[in-house]
Amino acid sequence: MRKIYLASFCFLLFLQAAWAQQNNQKLFSVNFQQATITQFVNELESKSSYHFYYDQAQFDSLRVTLQVTDKPLSSVLDLAFKKTAFMYAINQNGQVFLTKGRAIRTDLAPGYTHLKGNTPETQLPNVADYTAEAEKKVPVATTENKLYEIGIKTNTIKPGKAILSGYIRDIKSGEAVTGASIYVANTKTGAATDAFGYYSITLPRGHQVLSVRGLGMRDTRRQIVLYSDGKLNIEMQEQINSLKEVKISGEKVANVRSAELGVTRLDIKNIKQIPTAFGEADVLKVVLTLPGVTSVGEATTGFNVRGGAADQNLILLDGATIYNPAHFFGFFAAFNPDIVKDIELYKSSIPEKFGGRLSSVLDITNREGNKKKFTGSAGIGLLTSRLNIEGPIIKDKTSFILGARTTYSDWLLKLLPESYKHSQASFYDFNAGISHQIDEKNNLYLSGYWSQDKFKLNSDTLYKYSNKNANIKWKHNFNNKLYSLISAGIDRYQYDVSSSANPVNAYDLGFNINQSNFKADFTYYLNNKHTLNFGLSSILYKVNPGTFEPNGPKSLIAPDVIDPEKGLENALYLGDKYDVTSDLTISAGVRYNLYSYLGPATVNHYAPNLPKEPNNITDSVKYGSGKFIKSYGAPDIRISARYLLGDNLSVKAGYNTLHQYIHLLSNSTSISPTDVYKLTDPNIKPEHGDQVSLGFFRNAAANTIEMSVEFYYKRIRDYLDYKSGAVLLLNHHIEQDVINTQGKAYGAEFLIKKTAGKLNGWMSYTYSRTFLRQDDPYAGEFINEGKYYPANYDKPHSFNFNGNYRFTHRYSISFDIAYSTGRPITLPIAKYEYAGSERVFYSDRNIYRIPDYFRSDFSIIIEGNHRVHQLTHNSWTIGVYNITGRQNAYSTFFTEQSGVISGYKLSIFAAPIPFINYNIRF
Amino acid sequence: MKTWKLVLFLALLSASCKKPYNPSVVNSPRSYLVVEGAISTNDTTVIKLSRTVNLSNGSTVNPVMAAVVTVESDHGLTYPVFESTTPGTYKLYAGPLDVSQRYRLRIKTSNDNKEYLSDYSVVKVTPPIDSIGFNLTSTGIQIYANAHDATNNTRYYRYSYEETWRFHARYSSDYVSNHVNDVVPRTVDQRIYFCFAGNKSSTVVLASTAKLKEDQLFQAPITEILSTSEKIELRYSILLRQYAMSAESYKFWSLLKKNTEQLGGIFDAEPTELTGNIHNTADATDIVIGYIDAGTVATKRVFIDNSQLPDTFRATYPYSGCAVDSNYYINPLTGANQVLQNLVPELEFTLYGIFSPGSLKPVGYGAAPRECADCSIRGVTKQPDFWTTN
Repeated sequence: MRKIYLASFCFLLFLQAAWAQQNNQKLFSVNFQQATITQFVNELESKSSYHFYYDQAQFDSLRVTLQVTDKPLSSVLDLAFKKTAFMYAINQNGQVFLTKGRAIRTDLAPGYTHLKGNTPETQLPNVADYTAEAEKKVPVATTENKLYEIGIKTNTIKPGKAILSGYIRDIKSGEAVTGASIYVANTKTGAATDAFGYYSITLPRGHQVLSVRGLGMRDTRRQIVLYSDGKLNIEMQEQINSLKEVKISGEKVANVRSAELGVTRLDIKNIKQIPTAFGEADVLKVVLTLPGVTSVGEATTGFNVRGGAADQNLILLDGATIYNPAHFFGFFAAFNPDIVKDIELYKSSIPEKFGGRLSSVLDITNREGNKKKFTGSAGIGLLTSRLNIEGPIIKDKTSFILGARTTYSDWLLKLLPESYKHSQASFYDFNAGISHQIDEKNNLYLSGYWSQDKFKLNSDTLYKYSNKNANIKWKHNFNNKLYSLISAGIDRYQYDVSSSANPVNAYDLGFNINQSNFKADFTYYLNNKHTLNFGLSSILYKVNPGTFEPNGPKSLIAPDVIDPEKGLENALYLGDKYDVTSDLTISAGVRYNLYSYLGPATVNHYAPNLPKEPNNITDSVKYGSGKFIKSYGAPDIRISARYLLGDNLSVKAGYNTLHQYIHLLSNSTSISPTDVYKLTDPNIKPEHGDQVSLGFFRNAAANTIEMSVEFYYKRIRDYLDYKSGAVLLLNHHIEQDVINTQGKAYGAEFLIKKTAGKLNGWMSYTYSRTFLRQDDPYAGEFINEGKYYPANYDKPHSFNFNGNYRFTHRYSISFDIAYSTGRPITLPIAKYEYAGSERVFYSDRNIYRIPDYFRSDFSIIIEGNHRVHQLTHNSWTIGVYNITGRQNAYSTFFTEQSGVISGYKLSIFAAPIPFINYNIRF
Repeated sequence: MKTWKLVLFLALLSASCKKPYNPSVVNSPRSYLVVEGAISTNDTTVIKLSRTVNLSNGSTVNPVMAAVVTVESDHGLTYPVFESTTPGTYKLYAGPLDVSQRYRLRIKTSNDNKEYLSDYSVVKVTPPIDSIGFNLTSTGIQIYANAHDATNNTRYYRYSYEETWRFHARYSSDYVSNHVNDVVPRTVDQRIYFCFAGNKSSTVVLASTAKLKEDQLFQAPITEILSTSEKIELRYSILLRQYAMSAESYKFWSLLKKNTEQLGGIFDAEPTELTGNIHNTADATDIVIGYIDAGTVATKRVFIDNSQLPDTFRATYPYSGCAVDSNYYINPLTGANQVLQNLVPELEFTLYGIFSPGSLKPVGYGAAPRECADCSIRGVTKQPDFWTTN
C-alpha cells in the first residue's frame, strides 16, 4: 500500500530551484503496453530525476498504452491521462503530483511570497501528509514514505558526501537479501548488497530517495535525509507474483552495468522451474543449461566450463569446498534444493578472493534460516525424500536451518532384470546452519555439510564416498566503509572400496583428502569511485592417496600404504573497483599465490630431459616433517572493464590468469568416485591458464529482456593427463604415469533472458572448441603424434532453451530443450583376431563423434491454494524427462560377443521418464 | 502405488540401455601387423601372423604367409619357426629350451620385405595348476582355478582354455531313412542323440597376486556357465592352460582386455593406445600389435558332471518349434504314404514307431524337424580320446 507524502511548501522551496532549468526540457522516448502506474512511473523516474507522488489506490485501474518519441514530460502525461480523470502537476523542483479529479497547484498562493528565503530546516520534521485522513492509514515504521534521518542531526546540512550502509533483509524471515540494488536516481549512484545483505553507498548529504530492488522481492523505496555517515536497515517483502505486475529482478541493471563478464546468478526459484530426470530440483543440472558449460554426458555432474576440465571448477557450498558434488552415479546433485538460496557461476571475471582452480567458481549459498518463526518443508519423490526445518533460536537475532535428504531406490533396483538386480545404491546428506547476530557490528555464521553415498554395481565390490565440511564465519563491520569476513573451516572428502566375496583377495581400499582453510576478506568502500577488496587465504591440504588393507582374517592382501602428502596454498590479494566515469568502470586486481609442498615425503629426482621412468631416477631424497620441499609462487591477474555505450548497452572486456595446485586424475569418461587427487610436488607442476574475453550486453523492454554476446579465448598449461594403461590408484610413483598437456579453448556465447512476465526463461547458443595437446618430448609417449586433439567435452554447437509459463497463480508449466553436438570419441578403425576373438584397433584419440544430443523435458507445477492462514502449503510437480524418448548416446563401445566384434551405444535415459514430486511447506 | 511401480519399472527397463551401434564406415588407411603367440620352452611354440582388416570387411582372417620367423636367444642361438599347413600359423618344437637364456622373435615379411623384432623376454616358468573347481552363483556356475608359487616369483597369470561337453538332441531318433523307400532302425553308429561339442576361450583371462603377501591364487575366475546352458546338461570338461607372465606382459594383456572387452559402462575407462613389445626395426612409428614373451605352460583338465549340480539347473533347448508330427504309411484321412513323402527324403527325422494293436511293423512314425533330433548339426558323435565317464 503506497501513500503519498506532500512536503510543505517550505520544504519544497528549500530544494535548489536551479534544478528546473536544466530538467524541464528533458525529452522522453517511451513505449508502454498496458503499463500499470508503477511501471509507468518507474520508467519515467529511471529516465530522469523527476519524482512522482501519488496514491496508488487511486491509480490501480489505470493502464497506459503509449508510444512517444522526444516529448517533454507534460506532453507524455497529457497523452497518458487523456480522456481520464487523472491530473498532474509538475513543480520547479522536478516533483510530479498525480491526483484524480483535481490538480494540485504548485505555486504558492498570493500573499505567501514573503516566506521565500526563510530557513526551512526547522520545519523538516513537519512533513505533512496529503490529507489528514490518509495519514491514519500510514503503517508504522517500515513504510516507504517515512522520512528517515540518518546521522547526527544538524541544523544546516553540510555540503559534501556521507556514507550510508546497512543490511537488507526479508521482512518475513529476517534472512539477508543478496544482490539487492539500491539506486539513487538523483545522483545516478547505486550499490548492491553482498552475500550477507550488506550494502554501503556514498551519497551527497541531504534529502535522497533510495529505490531498492531485490531478486524476487517487491520493489521498495526509502526517503532519507542524510546528515552524516549512518546506517539504515531495510526490510523487503517477498514478491507475490501478480500476473499483471512486472517481476523486477535485482540483476536488472546488473547485466549492463556491472563490470563483470561471464557471471551468472540464479535464484533457487529459477532452478526449481527446470524439469529434471527424477523431479527434484537440481542445482548442477541447471548449471549445464548455461552457455559455456558442457558435460560429457547425463550420468555425471562433472561439468566443463569454457573448455576446462571437470576438476578445474571450484565448487563452494557456503565457502566450503565440495570435492564430489554428485550422488547416485551422478544422477543427483549433492545439494539440497530446499536449503540452497542461490548459485553464482563465474566463468570469466573471477573475483580476486577466489583462486586455486583454473576454469570457474560455482558459489552456492545456503539460506540462513527464518529469524522470525519456525517453518519447514518436505518433499517426496519416487526415489528421494527431503525435509528441512528452520526457525529462530533468539528471535530476530539467531536462526538455524537443518536439511536432510535420503533415497530409497533399492526397491527400484530390485525390479530390474537379473543382470542389474544385485546393484545397490543409497545416499543421504545433511545440512546445518546457524546464523547469529552478536550485535550491530558482528555476525557469526556456522555451517556444516555431510553426505554419504554407497553403491554396488552388480558385483560384490562396495563403493562408499563421503563429503564432510564444517566452517565458521565472522563478519565484522569496522565502520561504514570497512568490513571484514573471517572464516575458517575444514573440508574432507573420502572414499572407500571394499570387496569380500573372495576371502583370500578380500580388500579394503581407502582414500581421503582433507583441507583446513582460513580466509580473511576485507571490503573497503574508499569513496564513491573506489571499492577495495583485499585479504588473504590459506589452505593446508592433507591427502592420503591410498591405503590398501586385507579385509577379513583369511585375506592374504599385503597392506600397502601410499605416503600421505601435504601442501600449503597461501594467497594474498588486492582488488579495486574503480568507477572512472559514470560510463567507465574498471575492476582490477592481483592475487599472489604461494604453494609449498611439505614434508614428510620421499621425493624422487629424475635425470633432466629424460622421461620420468624408474631407470631415470638419479636420487631419492627423504624430507622431514614440516619441511618446505618445493614452493611455487605466481601472481594471478584479474582485470575487467565496462563501458556504457548507452543507457541499455555496454561493452565489457576482461583478462584473467589462474593457477591450480591440486590435480584430479581420472581415466574414465565421467568423474568417478574413485578418481585420485594429486598435489603439486617437485615432479608435478601446477596447472595454469589465462583467458581474454569480450562481451556486449544489452537490456530491452524496460530491463525485462537481457541480451549478451561474449567471446573468449583461453589457454591451459600443464593440465595433467595420464599415460596409456596407467594405473592411477595405489601408484607409488604417479609422476611416472602422467603427462603434462596443453590446452586451448575459444568460443562465442549468445544469451537472451527474459526475467519478467508470464513467460520467463532463457535461451542460449554457444559455439565453442576445446583442444588439448601433449607434446612434451620427455614424456616418453605422444597422444595423436603430439598434435592438438579435441577434449572429451568439446561440443562445438550447443543450444539451450528453458522456459516457464505461468497461467495463473496456481498453475505453471516449464519446458526445456537441450541440443549439442555429440562429444568426441575414439572409434575402432580396424579389426584383427587375437586370443580367440575378434578385436578392434582404435583410431587416434577423440577424432570421431557420437551422434548429436537432443532432449526436451516438460513439467507442470501445481501450487495448492494461496490462502495465507493455513497449516501447510503444498505443491505438486509432475513431468516427463526426455519427452521424445530420444536414445542419446552416452558412450559407444565395441566389444566382443562370442568372438565377434559388435558396436553398441549406451544410453542413460533412453525413454521418456515420468516423474512426480510432492512438496509441502509448513 | 502399484500402477506407479509398473510405469516406472517399464520406464527404467528401457531407460538405461545398450543398443547396437554401427557408425558410418570408418576405415584405416593402413593395415597393421598382428603377432600372437608365445615362445614356449617346454612345448610347441605357435606364432600367428596376420594383418588388421577394415571394420567393414566380412572376414577378419588376413594371415601373413611366407614370412621368415626365427626365435633367437641372447646367447646367439637361433631356431627357425616354420609355417604350418594353416596359413599364417608358424610352429616350432625345438625340444626343451634353456630357461636361463632370454629369447626374442624375429619376423621378416616376404611381400613388403620388412623386419620386425620383439624385445628379449626372460623365460617365466609357470607353476602347476593346483586345482580347478566351481562355485554356484545366482545364474549358474563360476569355474575357478587355484595355483600358487612357493617362491613368490610368478605373480601374474594368464589363462586360455578349451571346453568340451556332451549334450543331447531334443528327441531321440530311433529310425533312419534308407534313402530308397522306407525308414529302418538306426544302428549304434548311426545314433545322433548324444554328441560332443567344444569351444575355445575367446576372452582374455588374467589373474594377479601382485597385491598379496603370498603368491597364492585363490579361486581365480575362469569362466561362467549359465544354469540353462547345454554345456552342463550331461557332462562337461575344461582343459585349462596357465601361463606365467612378466609385469609388462600383464600390462599389455590387461590393456587389451580393457580396450576390447570392458568398455561402455558409466565408469569404465576409455580406450587407450595399445603398445606391445614388437617393433619394426627400420621404422619406430610403425605400429605392431602383439606381445611376445617366453615361458612354460601348465595344463590341467577336469570334468564336471551334471550329477554334481543342483537339480534346479535345466538346460534350454536352443531350437523352438520341436512339435512331434505323425507320418503314416497310409494316412487314415487322405490315404497318402507320408513315410515316403516326408521321412525317406528326411524332410523330418523319424523318432519312434507307431504301432497298431497286433502289428509287428509300425503303421507310421513320430517325426520332428532335423534340428530337434540330430545333435550332429551342432557337434560330433565321436567321443574325444580324452573323455572319461564317471
